[in-house]
This record gives sequence, structure tokens and C-alpha cells, in this order.
Amino acid sequence: MTVFNIPGPLINDRYKSDPVGRFLDYILKRRGEGAPVVGLYCGYAPVELIRAMGAVPVSLCASAQRTIPAAEAVLPANLCPLIKSSFGFIRTNTCLLYELSEAVIGETTCDGKKKMFELISHLKPTHVMDLPQLPDEEDVRERWTEMVRKLKIFLETTFRANIAADRLEAEIRETNKKCRLIDGFFDYVTLHPPPLNWQELYDVIGLDAVTNSGELQSLMTGISRTLDERIAAGICFGTPASPRVLVSGCPIGGDASKVLKIIEEAGGVIVALEACSGMKGYSIRIEEGTGDPLRAVAEATLKIPCSCMTPNGERLAMLDEMIKRFNPDVVIDVVLHACHAYNVESYKIMKHVKERHALPSLRIETDYSDGDVEQIRTRVEALFDSL
Amino acid sequence: MTTTLGLDIGSRTIKLVVWKSGATVMTRKALTSYDPIAVCRELLHDAPTGPLVATGYGRHLVKEYLRCETISEIKAFAVGARAVFPSCRTILDIGGQDTKAISLSEDGRIDKFHMNDKCAAGTGRFLEIMATALGLSLGDFMTEALAAETSHPINSMCTVFAESEVISTIARGIARPAIALGIHHAIAARAVSLLERVSITEDILFAGGVALNRCMHKQIENKLDRKVHAPADPQIVGALGCALLAAKNV
Repeated sequence: MTVFNIPGPLINDRYKSDPVGRFLDYILKRRGEGAPVVGLYCGYAPVELIRAMGAVPVSLCASAQRTIPAAEAVLPANLCPLIKSSFGFIRTNTCLLYELSEAVIGETTCDGKKKMFELISHLKPTHVMDLPQLPDEEDVRERWTEMVRKLKIFLETTFRANIAADRLEAEIRETNKKCRLIDGFFDYVTLHPPPLNWQELYDVIGLDAVTNSGELQSLMTGISRTLDERIAAGICFGTPASPRVLVSGCPIGGDASKVLKIIEEAGGVIVALEACSGMKGYSIRIEEGTGDPLRAVAEATLKIPCSCMTPNGERLAMLDEMIKRFNPDVVIDVVLHACHAYNVESYKIMKHVKERHALPSLRIETDYSDGDVEQIRTRVEALFDSL
Repeated sequence: MTTTLGLDIGSRTIKLVVWKSGATVMTRKALTSYDPIAVCRELLHDAPTGPLVATGYGRHLVKEYLRCETISEIKAFAVGARAVFPSCRTILDIGGQDTKAISLSEDGRIDKFHMNDKCAAGTGRFLEIMATALGLSLGDFMTEALAAETSHPINSMCTVFAESEVISTIARGIARPAIALGIHHAIAARAVSLLERVSITEDILFAGGVALNRCMHKQIENKLDRKVHAPADPQIVGALGCALLAAKNV
């Protein structure tokens, strides 16, 4: 029988397992110190540039069912729930982070998003970055660097600030330090069975947004101590027989995390989260000391293997690395309804993991509602039964 | 010999199988209704007692109530299919709200499986709604389709859109049997594409409530260009698998 009761908080400070409280307190504190807040919708927005200006980058609300009805009064129902939810939050004034943001940055990652940005751009200074989507083209780095340069001009103009190259270089080093810390922490999920569950994994992912590298270092020391104690006491999640699951695909925070809950309830243990909302970003390093930090930041963000890229060979390469490191027994590819790019790419992903790694896989297409929980459960349980 | 029971709480029908001394000694069926626990109680109240395994959409609901083991439908069908058709390698199950294609290895293990997307397109429920749109009972719907000389293609697979398409087809004066056959064609094509995803081998079993529909059976055989075996009672395959697994656990 799988053990799912958490033996004691993984992060043993006053927030414990309250990542939202931690996040809000951090933003309010920084804002109180005079730092402007800049809202983001995607990992392609280079946070180092925002931090180098002394501002706080925040990921805006995008993953709750409750704001979708309000969005559907304007947007078509047959649209990705992430876009609908984002827009619904803004329309109902319920995303505190959006309210706090003094500017918003979007990207042309998909058609739905870029058209949605048009509908909110009159509310706050909103800058859309034109993301080149053919990563193998020769001039792709040049073009994206140019977009990052335009973002710099937008930020400097909007906030009447100056983003100095040495400040940007310092933020690059900060990001790299933090990514190394969190990426190193992922070693604990390679254990079989792991000493932590997916909620705790999520609690740690994202700590880099609310800490500097020194603070993160001390938090990680505490986390490692707790996990080492759990290992010594034989506390783990699942049994050696529990299927190890790599979850790939669309970002699945908020209400979409129902899928992760179902996987756990069906007896699976989540050992890797491939999505942007998961581990993907932490394996990317920004080149330090190049003399052109803006270009370094652009080149690093461009390495994110989003399905909007074509061909997206980098995603398969990153999956290979994750499979090698975390040893999953199955891959579950989660696609948000109407996300055509991830949906089409799912076929390639499933074929690749079957042929290259002999792993069975399952594609789940879902949204933020809970109407399909039992259907998903049937499919996940059947997948585990077939192992 | 121990008596064991298998219960399949499907979206439309609940099926009970009692297994004793290597044979099925009782089968019962009832509509699931809005209160599946009450229906289960009714099915079980004077049935023989013994270890019980449950499957189907309602399995988690009855788990606490009956204190029984639960298994996924895929496993239940894999075991049940080999009992009614020992050489079975491929299973097509079209039930009330799900369609499943399962391929089995030579020794009966689950090799691959695929299920329809979460919507009920191309399932038993879809057929029921289409029959109603045509003003027919399920039985007459099949009979009309079997007797049809021509087929009118139906393209929508979303239940709601397909209903509108059927209504507008009626309004255009297309003969009812042709529409009925068109609907059967569409569902059969969908089932075959699901089967293709698990790689079809010989000895195909067609199970689930929709396997009672002879027109669908014929259409699927035509599209696959091979024989498909439908057991005498295709609805109880999952429940039978449960009863057999319960017997194995004893």
C-alpha cells in the first residue's frame, strides 16, 4: 500500500507548505521596498532582465476553472483553458498578481495567447515578444536577441530605468546558482521509491522565484536535511512496486493538477515533471562572462523546448535525459484541451518513448474542470494494470 | 469449490456474474440508474455470497460499501475475454460511454490498450441518442440499418452535433434506414481506427452492450475484412473477468 501522508513539512520555516503565502509575502515585501512588479505568462520572458532593473517578475494566474465562465463571455469556448483562465482572472479582477503588475509581458507562443493579449493590452503597458519558432534556422538567435533588446527598451522606457550590463551579468549568475541548487535537489526523486511526493516537488519548484541564491541555499540545506532524515527512517512515497511516472506535456498547475492526484491515487509515484511548470527549465544554464549578457539570456531562453517550436528535437533530447536520470516505468502526456501543438506532438512523444526507451505511455487530453476525473482515473488505472 | 462474484458497474448497465466449480452459475443485469449502490444491493440480495471483485465506472463507489477489491475494466476484460474465447488476442469493447481496444500477448497479458477520448462519441450512449433522434427503439434502429439498401454518411462524431446533423438530414428527406446505416458505418469506422492503434491480430472478440447490435458487428467485420467473434452474452465479459480474478485470489 502506498503511503501518502506527509511525515512532516519538507520546508520547515513559517510557510511550511504554503507556497502561495510565501509568494505573496515576498512580492508585497519587495513592492513595499519600491520594486515594481512585472507580470509574465511564459518562461520565454527573460526574468534576469526584469530583476536587473530592480523589478520583481511574477507568473500571472492562469490555471483555475472558476474564471473560465467569465472568459467565455468574450472568448470562444473551444480554446485552451490556460488562455481562458488567464483572461477570466483579468476580466473578473481576481488575479492579485495582475492587479499588482505595472507591466505585462507576453510572447507569440501560440495563436490563442497572442490574440488574447490584444484584448488586455489597453489595461496595462503590455509588451508582446515575437518568438521565432524554427529553432534550427541560422538567424534564430539573432532574431530572438533583437526581441530581448526590444523588451529591454520597453522596460527602460516604461519604468524610466536603466538596465546595466553588469547588473544583468550578476542576475545571470544568480539564476544559474539557483537552477543548479534546484536541479541538484531533483536527485532525491531519482531514488526508488522517492522520499517526497509531487506536491512537495512542486513546493520546491518555484522557490527560485521568491529567493535570492543565498536564501535558496539555506532553504535547500534544510530540505536536504529533512529528506536525508526521511531516507534514514525509511520514509518514502509508494513502494518499490509502484509505477514510476514521468508526466510530460502542457503546464499543469492549479486545477489541472487533478491529473497528478489521480496518478497518485491509482498507485503511481510521480518522479519527473517535464512541463514548463515542472523541471524542464532548471536544466538550462545561461552562459556567464560572455561580455554580451543580453545575448546570453536570449540564447538560454530560446533553449526551452516548447511544442510551439518546429521541429522540436530539443524536447526529445531533454526527455531522453530525464528518462535516463529518473527511470520512469511509464510516460503520461497531458495535453490541455485545444492546445494543438502539444496535442499533435503527443504522437511523436509516445512513439519516441516506445521506440527509444520501450516505455508505455498514455495521452490525456483535459481541461481545468473536474467532469472527466473518473474517465481519467479509468485510463490511468488501466495503464498501471497493463504494466 | 468456492463461489466467487464479479460485478461490473458500467455507465448504463450493472452486470453480475456468479462463478462456481469452473462455470458461470448466474448472470444478472440491471440499468445503472441514478443510484448504483441500490441497484447493486438489489442484484446481490438473494445471490450466492463469496469473494467479490468489482470493475466499471462505479467500482470506487461500491468499494467501501461492499468491502471488495476493484480492478480496471481493461484487466477485467482481458481476463473475461480469454474465458469466453480462449485464443483471443484482440478485444473491442463498446460500452455505454467508453470504447476500448486491447491487444493481448499469446499468454493473455495486456500488451497495449487504447480508449476513446473522454467524450461519449461512438459509444452505446451515442447510438441510443441517434436512435431517439430517428424516433426508433434501439432494436428497430438496428433492424432498419440492417435492411437499408443505401447508406447516408454522417460526419459529426460529437453526440450533440451528430444529433443536429441527423435532424437536418431527416429534414432533407433522406430515408430513415439510410441514415441509420450511415450512423452504424461512422461508429464502426471509429472503432476500427481505435483497433488499428493497438495492432490487430487474429481472434478478435467484440464485447460490451454494443456487440449485441448485429449491424454494428457486420459493419466492423466488413471494415476489418475478417471474422470478429461476439460471445453469446457480450455484456458480461467484464463481470466474468472479475469473478475469475476473485476465484484466483481465493
